[in-house]
Amino acid sequence: MKDFRLYDITDFVMDEDFVRWVYEQRPEDDQLWRNWLARNPDKHLVVAEARAILQSLYIAPPVIRNEEIQAETDRLLQTIRQQPMEIVEPVEPPAKLVRVRTRFWYAAAAILIVGVAGITFYLNKKATVRESYSWENMTASRSLIEQVNTSDKPVTIALADGSALSLSPGSRIGYANYFDSGEFRDVYLSGEAFFEVTKNPDRPFRVFANEIVTKVLGTSFSVRSFEKDTTIQVIVRTGKVTVYSRAVPTTKRSATDHKPGEVILTPNQQLVYEKTGQKFQKVLLDEPLLIVSKVTEQKMEYEDAALSKVFSELSKAYGINIVYDSELLDKCTVTADLKNETFYHKLDLICTAIGATYEIIDGQAVIQSNGCQ
Amino acid sequence: MPLHDTHADQNLLQQLQQSDEQALAALMKKYYPDLYSYGTRFTTDAGLVKDCIQEVFISLWQRRHNGGAILSLKYYLLRAVKNKVLKSLHRLANNTHLDDWQDGHPFLQEFPVEKLIIEKQISEEKGMALRKTLAQLSKRQQEVIYLKFYHHLDHAQIAELMNISRQSVYNLLHETLQKLRALWQAEFLTR
Repeated sequence: MKDFRLYDITDFVMDEDFVRWVYEQRPEDDQLWRNWLARNPDKHLVVAEARAILQSLYIAPPVIRNEEIQAETDRLLQTIRQQPMEIVEPVEPPAKLVRVRTRFWYAAAAILIVGVAGITFYLNKKATVRESYSWENMTASRSLIEQVNTSDKPVTIALADGSALSLSPGSRIGYANYFDSGEFRDVYLSGEAFFEVTKNPDRPFRVFANEIVTKVLGTSFSVRSFEKDTTIQVIVRTGKVTVYSRAVPTTKRSATDHKPGEVILTPNQQLVYEKTGQKFQKVLLDEPLLIVSKVTEQKMEYEDAALSKVFSELSKAYGINIVYDSELLDKCTVTADLKNETFYHKLDLICTAIGATYEIIDGQAVIQSNGCQ
Repeated sequence: MPLHDTHADQNLLQQLQQSDEQALAALMKKYYPDLYSYGTRFTTDAGLVKDCIQEVFISLWQRRHNGGAILSLKYYLLRAVKNKVLKSLHRLANNTHLDDWQDGHPFLQEFPVEKLIIEKQISEEKGMALRKTLAQLSKRQQEVIYLKFYHHLDHAQIAELMNISRQSVYNLLHETLQKLRALWQAEFLTR
């Protein structure tokens, strides 16, 4: 789940979903982006400029006739049928090679050997250039049970401590086979998963996703960290989680209460970690979900109620902090039916009633008002 | 690359392991246009590019039992074709050092600005300015753009394919985008 509201022009140009919309012009993307723009009218100019840049960089595909592809395919099949030999071990390439094109059939055997040696070279090379927070580095030297979801649907996995997770398609999870003992409950993630963690204050549950570690005692939340993405995202459904980056030096993460490298997330907050800038940003979800029962929400009907009571109940219903000047807004009362409305609409209704506005800053709703008479 | 695409590739690779010629043919048909497009960035000799693509698929077939998972087949094939084409060119030119040659290789890139003008997406005047800006891009900037926006490779893959750091990939992209932003900014007044 990406939050395009945070995107500037460069982010849009770099985003593969955005690029697909501009280049492939699929109707379903078109609909999606139109709706998004309708909800975020202030982004029209940014999107228009990002589109113009992408259109300037469009590269046309080569014109290749189907006959040519077929002919090249036939030629390939003919070669492999004439060359039943298989090479298992990489072999040093011969010192001198003839030009391939002129005596293709004759030279085929020599070329195969070069091919295999070449491939071995790429694989070795790849290993040395790998990122320090890659899946391989995370999981190396640990004996883990690994599961990969190669299907196109989320897969539910139960862990030995009673916790469960839903692993998204194309994602991979690893955990120790002695998962139910030890100081921590550690899992390693590449991709996206939603976790429901059973409470155990003595043994924190930690999710390692590239450079980001999410630490919880017992809660539900999701982590998205595909290696190709430029961001890592953590979304909290219930409870409280702590997130920190392994890329931020430990000296900056002192043992005091205030840890600059650490971020605490509460329900309906989403943390976006930018890998290049190593920066955290906290935002609210587009559609925050209730964390109390529907029955409790049905009581949110007010007549001349004190604003402080309304805000306090709204804050509890969604686990979202609402910041306001209680002295200034002391005299405000609210008469409103907030049942069955979304969080933002509830907030709109209250603000309209008291002549205030609000802003979402750092994952909290901040109310601005001149007070009530 | 969409995920289902990767799944399709993994299925075909599995069939390939079982010596299924049709799987090899399917992969050839699927990737030929992309590989041809990339190969012809380095030379105008279409025959040489075609031969190199053949060789890459022959080695894929020959090592089908060697195991070793290929995570992104597209990236793997692009890399193999690039190396083959550059090596062949190097042999033909009888150059001294392959490394120098790889750094200084040509990159033939055309952006269809005319098409944008004809389709009235941009004005004649803007088209001129755009053509000038694009002509100023370095070979490396063009290659990064081509790999990113045409082949949709990720930054790590682009870095490896071009033998540069991820930071350089980011810088090359960033410089290019800044130039284009300067060109379009007046139009949209986003600053």
